[in-house]
Amino acid sequence: MRLGWWLLSVLSRALEPAERDVVLGDLAESGEGVGAATRNLLGLIVRRQAGLWLFWRPWLALFGVSCLAGLSLSRIVFRLNVDFYKYAAHYATTLTARQEVAFLLCLAGALTVWSWTCGFVLGSLSGRAVWLTWSVFYFVVLDSALARFVLAGNIILRDPRTHETPLDSPQGALRLLMATMLPLSIAALVSLFPAVFGAFVGVRRRVLTVHHAYLIAAVNTALTILTTWSTGWYDPAHLPARWPGVPWSTRLLPFLLASWPAAYLLACSLPTGSRPKDQAPLQPVPEP
Amino acid sequence: MLGEFEYLLLSAAARLGDGAYGAAIRRDIEAATKRRCSIGALYTTLDRLEAKGLVTTWMGDPTPQRGGRPKRMVRVTGDGVHEAKAFYDAVSRASRGMSWAADRARGSS
Repeated sequence: MRLGWWLLSVLSRALEPAERDVVLGDLAESGEGVGAATRNLLGLIVRRQAGLWLFWRPWLALFGVSCLAGLSLSRIVFRLNVDFYKYAAHYATTLTARQEVAFLLCLAGALTVWSWTCGFVLGSLSGRAVWLTWSVFYFVVLDSALARFVLAGNIILRDPRTHETPLDSPQGALRLLMATMLPLSIAALVSLFPAVFGAFVGVRRRVLTVHHAYLIAAVNTALTILTTWSTGWYDPAHLPARWPGVPWSTRLLPFLLASWPAAYLLACSLPTGSRPKDQAPLQPVPEP
Repeated sequence: MLGEFEYLLLSAAARLGDGAYGAAIRRDIEAATKRRCSIGALYTTLDRLEAKGLVTTWMGDPTPQRGGRPKRMVRVTGDGVHEAKAFYDAVSRASRGMSWAADRARGSS
């Protein structure tokens, strides 16, 4: 019984703090059993969550950050994973050791800042819907590049010689499940941990101060420029016959998609910018 | 024009007067309709009525009966009374001449 009410209080954290106390008080007063109280509470939570999606901000978070920026970050995470392996093994690159280190640091640093900014903007825009937008972001970053490679046939899940799939054995299924659900690579950790932290701060603070926003935007811009520039070492080095490799404008596009939340963050922090309003449905007001 | 549940909520809040708060309104609606009233329906409707300016709400004092948690007190505004009356008049006009309305009138007289 006591465990049931403890679970109810945990569940009620999905509500705004003021409403949480009122509803738990009502449930305690009504003397309902834990089952009925849970049904009632879940009903209210579902209605509140649905109500959040009547506003445009969670939709912008879902499509603009979780999907658009997430797709770009996924591509960059995949690239960083490959590069960690390649540079660690000194495989097929004509870069000097300093250039290799500089490139990896630029990309890892940029990935950290992009991810934190994406997380912050997700939290800021989504509010209490952040669990959903962040979950979509997580799986897009973790799995969309992998899915793209599988769909393009660059990664073969079914061996054509044996017609075996990883799902044929429990170990293979478990390995595939872990690969798609958990951030097992260094690059995924470099991306997803800052994104969790950013979302946590974003839900709490909603808007950064102008100075912090300028700092984030400046670091973001500098790292984006450095990464675009340093990637120029990579392509000619890797594809010497295709000099000058991929044009800088093409290389810049995924970085811009990953870093647009920094521009949004800056715009919101400026005095004339639109600040996210607290969409709390219940605000304590003094007795009339 | 009010919805049916909005009217029930306004009526319950007006009947309870100074003692109108979430749990009490819920009990009153359940007693009137003989049906369960969910907390989700109650509070989302209350928010809607407050947004329309038909009720005002504020946080009441916590009581030991509620585990020291506060109540959400409710008061019907003048506009709320006006809208409830308009709804009742509309239902009364729509029910004129109906057999069930005549039975009710005879039963109450």
